[in-house]
Amino acid sequence: MRRGPLVLGATAVGLVGVLGFRSHNTSAPISSATPSTSRTTSPSSGTSRVTGAAAGGNAATGKATSAGTTGSGVSSTTSPPPAAAPSTTTAPSLLSATGKTEQYGYGEIAVKVTVSGTRITGTSVPVIQTAEQYSQQLAAQVIPMLRGQVLSVQGSRIDGVSGATYTSEAYAMSVQSALDKLHFK
Amino acid sequence: MSATGEPAPMRHAEPVMGTVVSFAVHPGTAAPDTVRRAIADACGWLHHADRVFSTWDADSPMSRLRRGELGLADVPGEIPDVLRLCEIARERSGGWFDPWRMPGGVDPTGLVKGWAVQRAATILRRSGAQAVMVNGGGDVATVGKPGDGRPWRVGIQHPWRADALACVVEPARCVATSGAYQRGLHLTDPHTGTAACRVASATVTGPSLALADALATGLAVAGEEGLGNVAGLPGYGAYVICPDGREVSTPGFRFAAQPVPAR
Repeated sequence: MRRGPLVLGATAVGLVGVLGFRSHNTSAPISSATPSTSRTTSPSSGTSRVTGAAAGGNAATGKATSAGTTGSGVSSTTSPPPAAAPSTTTAPSLLSATGKTEQYGYGEIAVKVTVSGTRITGTSVPVIQTAEQYSQQLAAQVIPMLRGQVLSVQGSRIDGVSGATYTSEAYAMSVQSALDKLHFK
Repeated sequence: MSATGEPAPMRHAEPVMGTVVSFAVHPGTAAPDTVRRAIADACGWLHHADRVFSTWDADSPMSRLRRGELGLADVPGEIPDVLRLCEIARERSGGWFDPWRMPGGVDPTGLVKGWAVQRAATILRRSGAQAVMVNGGGDVATVGKPGDGRPWRVGIQHPWRADALACVVEPARCVATSGAYQRGLHLTDPHTGTAACRVASATVTGPSLALADALATGLAVAGEEGLGNVAGLPGYGAYVICPDGREVSTPGFRFAAQPVPAR
C-alpha cells in the first residue's frame, strides 16, 4: 500500500488511536478470559505458576457479541446507547455508514460503523468473503479482535494491544471510509 | 487531559508493511512540531524498510536476494544487518526461529517488522519526546515512561474471545505476539520443513523487539516446550496460550495487577 501518511488520520481516533483512552467509567476494563481458561505451571523447567486469571467484564463501551463466520458474513453488533429522545439537538445522534469493500489478500471485507457524537459505538461486518475454509477460520477469529480494537479498548486502561494481525489493514481502510462518509472527526 | 492528569499522547496511524503502525507519543518538553516531524521521519523509515524487505513485492531487494538474482554485496546494507540479527535470533531461540529453513529461500520476515518498528521508536525518542509507543500491528516497542513513571500497559489480544484481552502485561520495553490467527499464517517448523503452529498465541517481552518478534515466531512453532528457552534469556519473558486454553508463562513475564485499577 502506498497511501499518504494522513490517510488514516481519523482512524487514529477510531481504530488504533483509541488505545489508551481513559474513560470516565469506573467499571472493569475489558480484560477478560474465557471461563475455561486457566493459567498454569508449565511442565517444562524454568517457568513459573501464575495465579489470578484475567479480570472479567465487558467493555465499558457496550457489549459486543460475535457469531461464527459463514460465507455470508460475520455478524456482530453492539448494543447502542439508550436511545436519546429524537430530534433533540443536545443528545448525540447515532449515525451509521458502511465503508468501502476492501480486498485483504484472501477475500474481501466491508465494515459498518456506528458513531454517537465523538465515539464509535458499534462496528459490524456486512460483507466478508474468503477464498477458502482456512481463511474463513482465520476471519472468524480475527474480525472480533479487530472490532475489539475499535470498540472495547475505548474504555480500557491500557496503552496498546499486542496480537497477531491478519485482515487489519483492509478492516482499517473500510472503517476509515465509513468514518469519512459520516464526516467523523 | 485525562482523569489522571496525564496529557493525552500525540497519535498517528500509518498503513505500511501490510498492517497499520500506530504511534502514541508523550512529547514532554519536546515541541509538538518537532515530534510531528519525527513521526513523519519514522513513517518514512518504515516505508523504506518495507520497500527493502517486502517478500510480497517480487522486485524488492530481499525478493531478488531470495531468488539469487542479487548477492549480499549488491543489496542495501540493512539486509546483511538484519540477517546477522537473524543468526543471533536463531541461536537464542534454540533453532525454533530459522529464516534459512523457510520455503523459497532465506526469509527474515519473522524479525523484520519488530526490528523496523523498534527503529521507528528510536527515531521518535531522538526528537526529545518523553515517552513513545509504536505498535506495528501488534508488535509493540516502547521507550521512556508515559507519565508519573507508571509502566506501560499492553493488552494481549485473546485469541478466541471477541472484544477480550487474555491478560495485560507491563513490559519494560517491547512486546511481540504471534499466533494461529496471524495473517496468512504459514509458520514453518524449521526441524521438519512443514507448516506448524503449536499455540493459540505466543507473546514475548524483552528489550529488543527484533529479537522478541523472532522469539515469538519461534515460540508459536515450538509450543509450550519453547518456554524454557526464553526463560533462560535475561530480560525476556514469554506467555503462551495453548491450543487447549491453558496459559503458561515464564517468571520474566510481568503481568499487570488485575484488574488494572480504576483511577
